[in-house]
Parts: sequence; structure tokens; C-alpha cells
Amino acid sequence: MILKKLLKKPVRFYQYFISPMLGQNCRYYPTCSEYAVWEIECDNAFKAFFKSFFRILRCNQLFRGGIDYPVIKKNINPKFGIKKKIVYWLVPKENNKFIVIKAKYEK
Amino acid sequence: MKNNSQMKRIIIATVISFIFFIAYDYFVLQPKQKAAAKTVMEQNKTMQTVKKEKTKINKSILNSKTLVIVRAKDFEAKIDEFGRISSFILKQKKFEKKDKDINLVSDKLPKPLEIRFNNQKLNSEAFKIPYSANKTDVVLNGNKKTFILTQNLNGEIVKKIITFYPNGRYDVKVELSKKTKYFLSPGYRPSVAVDHLTVHGSLIEKADDTLDVIKDGDAEQKTVKNAIVAAGFDRYYTTLFFSKKPFEVMISPDNEQNPVLYIVANSNLNLTGYIGPKYVDTLRAINPALVDVVQYGVGTFFARKLFLLLDFLHKIVINWGVAIILLVVIVRLILFPLTYKGMVSMYKLKELAPKMKEIQLKYKKDPQKLQMHMMKLYKEHGANPLGGCLPLVLQIPIFYGIYKLLLYSIELKGASFLWIHDLSSMDPYFILPVLMGVSMYFHQRLTPSNFQDKMQEKIFKFLPLIFTFMMATFPAGLVLYWTTNNILSIAQQWFINRVMAAKKVKK
Repeated sequence: MILKKLLKKPVRFYQYFISPMLGQNCRYYPTCSEYAVWEIECDNAFKAFFKSFFRILRCNQLFRGGIDYPVIKKNINPKFGIKKKIVYWLVPKENNKFIVIKAKYEK
Repeated sequence: MKNNSQMKRIIIATVISFIFFIAYDYFVLQPKQKAAAKTVMEQNKTMQTVKKEKTKINKSILNSKTLVIVRAKDFEAKIDEFGRISSFILKQKKFEKKDKDINLVSDKLPKPLEIRFNNQKLNSEAFKIPYSANKTDVVLNGNKKTFILTQNLNGEIVKKIITFYPNGRYDVKVELSKKTKYFLSPGYRPSVAVDHLTVHGSLIEKADDTLDVIKDGDAEQKTVKNAIVAAGFDRYYTTLFFSKKPFEVMISPDNEQNPVLYIVANSNLNLTGYIGPKYVDTLRAINPALVDVVQYGVGTFFARKLFLLLDFLHKIVINWGVAIILLVVIVRLILFPLTYKGMVSMYKLKELAPKMKEIQLKYKKDPQKLQMHMMKLYKEHGANPLGGCLPLVLQIPIFYGIYKLLLYSIELKGASFLWIHDLSSMDPYFILPVLMGVSMYFHQRLTPSNFQDKMQEKIFKFLPLIFTFMMATFPAGLVLYWTTNNILSIAQQWFINRVMAAKKVKK
């Protein structure tokens, strides 16, 4: 958990203080930094780090860009009757894989 | 009204953070430096009384008489009666200071070429019986010159045959009449440019090209075999021994845990030495292995590669400032294929203009949705005007590398460019930081951006101002790099915008 926080803090700092200075550059939706945050929140910290790293490498003119949601592998044990705010929608893909989409976009 | 108070708050925040930096510098950094200077002085005082290594240090060792003076165009070296280099003063104009000459031989012991014997009796005699020399005044007129120092220690005859070169290199041959274990020192590291910001200490390079960098304060007693370079260094200067034939080095910490190097031998020894600024060219001329003596702290590998590129440019254009500008141009040229692809996709984009308008109107109030639908549109039509994150990320190591090489390269110290007299220190007239702020402002105005919230937008608007203040104290060369980069970005953006406009008119 601490590791995840440590990873998330600099990304948030970047989003607030450095990103505005550089203008809009990212070729993807969600942006590389947002992708990293979603990954960190939904996946294991190491996986999140490497996936975000390769996402940044992909983010240049040689790739098409566009919509690219994080895809994670997860075993889900359904629980019913819990009243909870929905943070992420996990859209099922094949083999326990899910597409991650943030429910309500707020910062 | 609300807007106004937010504005005020941001101005206050900026002012407070600025005051914080000044206060931090005044109350924390400066006393630290003063304290460090004080401990160095105290250290020197205690040094004279403390027992060190295998010898007692008495006054006669510290205040020894000068035996030989070596004069060259670039330096003046003194050899004292115990056969050690007791002072090494740089004569070039660049190193002239108003109050004091730059003496590369530290006040601390050992001095370069100092011999200490393992045999206690022999050792105490070595610091009582003075050497004799066959020459007392050696003048180098662009040629190397040799002189011989001899010491007779009750039957053990110690001979040092020293050849000085005009560039600060010297060859030394130690000859003993009887075999005995002794330690020869390249000298305590120069103490001219020592600060908290930069790395200083000792370095050993082994025959298999591996490096062992021992920072001041981290030293532990140990012996390294198979060494070819043994150097003590501060930010800009070094004193070192080199030999193609591997030798054994002993690292012996002083009472501050700073590494002190000794070469361990028991018979004749042949070494090449160098005292002077860490000029990459001079070091390479002696032997390419010595280039590694120039350390740039964390990221040395990258900073060195960048320095060699910058040095190459400098040799073409003569001026370091122009070389930095050229470096920016080269970096942008390397990234140009990417930029060009972006420009091509711009042409495709104009066909999408009506659709884009539609989306923009539809999601006016939700920038996230707007961005998402724009991306979808781009992907459908195979056009994406944005440059991407990678080209930006690639700039970071280059920027860091330039910062490092400006910090450590003696070549760039005192390098002038237009009104700036030293690219490695801050711009005294603050022209460059202001130019950077202005160029940043215009760059911001030209690049389209969307914000997720109002706070972000406010910060964005004040960033050029904040950066102007922040960069004011940074090395001028770094600010020059950034300013040039901004200006080139503006030119590029302006060009793209014009192409877009021309296409629109045609339509």
C-alpha cells in the first residue's frame, strides 16, 4: 500500500505542476499519467510501473495513439448486497482479464 | 470577485515559497557550509598533533624548506627537502584569483610523492634527513626536464628521478639500494573546490577497467591489487598516479573517513603522475584510461557521453555557448522525424475539422469526454496531431546531463558567451532567466491545452514567472539550453500553425 502511495504521489505532482507547463502532448486516452494512476490503483505496483513505463515508450508519433484503457488480470469473488461507491468499472474480457474504466472522472 | 481572491492567493503562495527558498539558503545551507569550513580548519589544527599512520607529524614536516622549484608556463611546483611536492600553483589567467593563488597541494598530509616506510626507524629518519637535488631551479620552456633527488638514510639510499612535462604530467622513478616495504602517496586530494553539492574523494581504476570511487566520508581500510590509476579529486582538480604495469594501492581513511591513497611497493617503482585541472584532453593525452578520473556524480556515464559530444561541437565553433545552442538543434533534429510525422497528420486533420467542431460543441462542459471523443476521432481516421509523451521524457536525461557537466567540467568554468562571463554559474544580469520566462510564456500561448480544473489553470499561468525566479540561480548554460529549446519550439509551432492556416485558405 505504501509503495502504491509512493508511486502515485509523484504522478499527481506531475499532473498538477509539470504537465500544465508542457501543454497537451499525450496521444492516448486516458493520458499516460492518468493511465499510470488507474494501473496503480487497480493492479499490483510492479506491474503498474512496467505497464506505465511501456505506455510512455509507446506514446510517440510512430504509434497511432487513441483510446487505450488499462487491462488487468484479476480473480473476482463476487460479493452481493454491499452498498459501495463505484470507483472503477471492470469490463470483462477473455481469461479473467478486465478493461479498467474509471466510473466518475474526478480529481 | 472570486477570481480576484484566487489570484491573490496564488501570488501570496509564490511569494511565500520564494521567501522559503531564501530563508532555507540563509539559515540552513549557509551555516552548514560555514560549519564545514570550520571543521576543516579545526581538522588542520588537530592534524598537527595527532599521530598519523606510521609516522609522528612534527612541525619540521609541515614547515619544510623548499629544495627544488619547477617553473612552467602554466604552473609552478615546489619540491621540499623531504622529496615531496609541497606546493603546486596554477599560473593560467583562468585560475588567477584576487586574494589567493590556487594551490592544488592540500594543507593536509600526505603530500604528493611522500614516501613512508614500513620500518619505524627508517621512517622517522626519512623525515629528519633531508634530500639533496642535482638541480634546484628547473625551468620548462615547452620541453620536459629531469632532475634527481637523493636521500641517504644510514646506508639505505633513496633516489627519486623526476621528469616534469609542461602540461602538469610528471614521471617518477623510485630507486632503493636495499629492498624494504614502503608507501608512496599521490597526495591528499586537492582541497580547492570542495562543497556539499559535488562529489569529491578518491578513485581507483583497475587493469580490467573497473572503477572504485570512494567518496569522502565513506572510506574503509583496504588494499586494492591490480590498479592502474590512483587519483584523489575534488570538483575540478586532481592529483593522481598512473602506470600501465598494475600496482597495489592501500586506502587508508583519515579521521574524517576521507580516503587517502598510498601505493604499496618494496623495490623500484615506475609511475606517471599528474597534478592539475581535470581537462579531459590533457588526461586523454597522458592515457585514455585517465578520462575516467573526471566524475560527474550520479549519471556519470551519460554526462560524459554528452560532454564528449559538446566538446566535439566546441572544437568546431570555438564558443561553449554556441556549442550548447548547437546541441539543442541536434537534439531537435533527432526528434524531427517524429515531429514531421505529426505535421503530416496535421494535413489529414483538416478534413476532420467539421466533425471536430461538432464534438467540441457537444462536450463543451466536459473536457474529459471531449478529449476521449477527439482521440476516438483521431484513431478512426489515422491522424493524431499530438507529439506524445516519449519525446518529452527523452529531454529529461539530456537536461540532467547538461546540468551535471556544467557542474563538474573545468572546461566550462569561466566559458563566456555574449554578456555571460561564466556559463557554469548564474547569469549576473538575470537577462537569460527573464528571456526564458518570456519564451516560456509565448510557448504556452501557442500550444493548445485543456485543463481539468481551475486551480491547474492558475498554476499554469504563473509557471513562467515561478520558473524565472527558480532558474535565476541555476548555471547560465542550463538556462541557455532551455531558452533555446523554447525558442525552437515556438518557431516550430508557429511554422505548423502557418501551414495549417495556408491549407485552410486554399480550401
